[in-house]
Amino acid sequence: MRAAATFSGAFTALVALPARAIEPVMRGAQKILGIKRMPWVFLFPNLAAVLFFSLLPVFINIFYSATGSDRLYPADRPYVGAANYETLFECGSYLDPSTCSRDLFWRALGNTLIFVPVQVAAMIGIALFTAICLNRDIRGRGFFRGIFFFPVMLSPVVVALTWQWILQRNGALNGLLTALGLTPVNWLVFPNSAFFWSVFVTVWAHMGFFTIILLAGLQSIPRDVYEAAKMDAANPWRVFTRITLPMLKPTLLVVFILCVIRSVQTFDELYVLTGGGPGSATILIVQYIYEIGFAIQPRNFGLAAAASLLLGAVLLVFTLIQLRLARGKSYD
Amino acid sequence: MANLVLEKLSKSFGAVEVIPGLDLQIEDGEFVVFVGPSGCGKSTLLRLIAGLEEATAGDIRIAGESVISVPAADRGVAMVFQSYALYPHMTVRQNLSFGLENIRMPKDEIARRVEAAAKMLQIEELLERRPKELSGGQRQRVAIGRAITRNPKIFLFDEPLSNLDAELRVLMRVEITKLHERLGNTMIYVTHDQIEAMTMADKIVVLRKGVIEQVGAPLELYNHPRNLFVAGFIGSPRMNFLNGAITRVSEAGLSFQSPHLPPFTLPARPGPLRAGATVTLGVRPEHFTLSENGTGWPLTVSVSEQHGSNSYLHCATPDGTPVLIHEAGQSRVARGDVLHAEPREGHWHLFDAAGLRVPLGN
Repeated sequence: MRAAATFSGAFTALVALPARAIEPVMRGAQKILGIKRMPWVFLFPNLAAVLFFSLLPVFINIFYSATGSDRLYPADRPYVGAANYETLFECGSYLDPSTCSRDLFWRALGNTLIFVPVQVAAMIGIALFTAICLNRDIRGRGFFRGIFFFPVMLSPVVVALTWQWILQRNGALNGLLTALGLTPVNWLVFPNSAFFWSVFVTVWAHMGFFTIILLAGLQSIPRDVYEAAKMDAANPWRVFTRITLPMLKPTLLVVFILCVIRSVQTFDELYVLTGGGPGSATILIVQYIYEIGFAIQPRNFGLAAAASLLLGAVLLVFTLIQLRLARGKSYD
Repeated sequence: MANLVLEKLSKSFGAVEVIPGLDLQIEDGEFVVFVGPSGCGKSTLLRLIAGLEEATAGDIRIAGESVISVPAADRGVAMVFQSYALYPHMTVRQNLSFGLENIRMPKDEIARRVEAAAKMLQIEELLERRPKELSGGQRQRVAIGRAITRNPKIFLFDEPLSNLDAELRVLMRVEITKLHERLGNTMIYVTHDQIEAMTMADKIVVLRKGVIEQVGAPLELYNHPRNLFVAGFIGSPRMNFLNGAITRVSEAGLSFQSPHLPPFTLPARPGPLRAGATVTLGVRPEHFTLSENGTGWPLTVSVSEQHGSNSYLHCATPDGTPVLIHEAGQSRVARGDVLHAEPREGHWHLFDAAGLRVPLGN
């Protein structure tokens, strides 16, 4: 009884009284706007948040991309039109990044264009393989699920520092190689091995997340469908290609979209692990945008804004294609 | 010949023994129904025959050959699952042909078989649809069609009608029976519904806790249940049971006495029973005679169910033992009435203290 009284008191204080207080305001609003426009009044708080924190920055970004100088305040920035875009696209030959005025942009773009497909393919392939293994009746299944998910909970910086400790010249891996009588390798000094480890570390760090989603997808496939396939003389490969993959398609599509977006956004792990090096071998587009806008003096906000808008445009096109492909993909 | 022989077949899941050594012979072309309450091991037995479960011990022989170590697909059996287990992303045609493609059957032969099965089951116009676009009954047909195209020696049905509504269930029951007549294959059908068992089977196998309680033709089981379990399980509504004792054994027969009821003489050969033996008398609801003159057992009516063509009188003896009486046609008996009833001569079943049938020579 006392709890009920407290609750009703709290309800009166927190909801009923304020509601009564703003009732005249709402009535006034309804009189002025008419009942058809009233939903907008209720939508306003959320709309305001979206406009202010998501849409407004996009427009600010567009504004910055069309203005020059290293000044931060909009009023101080002179209008330069498409000059920033022209700078980015200023190249002797588009086949050779070194002829471009902003060659690092093109190298970062090129790296990203190689990094994303390789990393996404490796990520989904390994996550799918892991999920299929973890979906079987194996001993210590819960333990292994935990192990594979563990890196997802780590901060990106911790991931990068851990692997740096393993991969550096006097690191754990080389220590192991030396102990085995093999020649140590300077893993992060050579472009190809640095690129390989960039993919490896990011896959290691994020794979658990996608494995869990795929595992949930696998578990939603009914067991008796597999039994029917067994009675239907399907060999394991046919079961995988004709039953598992098609029935996992909706899940795979979600994983693919999430994976591509995350892959394009890759920044913190590599920034700490390789710093984009050696040279520019592992610099990706987001790191380029960060460096040009905030790290390298003078700060070129305009160019960074232009590059990020180009990236946004590419992601938008990609997402639209995905949404088109994802339409009408349900079997039940 | 595709007869099936199970020999000392047993199955355990860990420490739990589900089927403790079972022997059974099923003849070629028979329609056999495994029936029993939930958890009696009937589905496990079917899955052992299908090859979806591995037997712990014993042997399974199909047409004389041991298949115990033969993979499911090569045993010459096809299964219709309770959930249908259709491939949701494939069309009906692909569902029917998937198994045939897997064994690399020539394309024209696959097409011929699919068309033939579709025609037989009247699903020709559904061939290009996906399972989600079909009704429950249509999915059921597709599942049966998938089994037919494989032309198996033995069909296995795992409670295939349990997901259908009552009306459709009656319809499909008849269709499966007709299908059996047309194809002539051996069919094994699992159900917990004893009406399905009674109406469809050539032979019923009653299972309890993985043990066969009785095997026989439906009416044989109905008329001569071997023990209390079968007597109670086969027949709907179920048989009435009265506990009591044999008070006297004479040339005239056995005198049966249940508490608070007048003694009742079973005019039967004495058999192995002695006076004082504890017994259970079983009488089916339709095997009571209501007496007008006040002889027989006094039964108080608690509910009188009028089905129109039949009446079911839910009664109780003076000590509260429930007794159900079936009367053909419409009854004038109402709630609270006291009836006097006696088992009809020759239609009683006597079970000893261990629950086994006592032969009465009737």
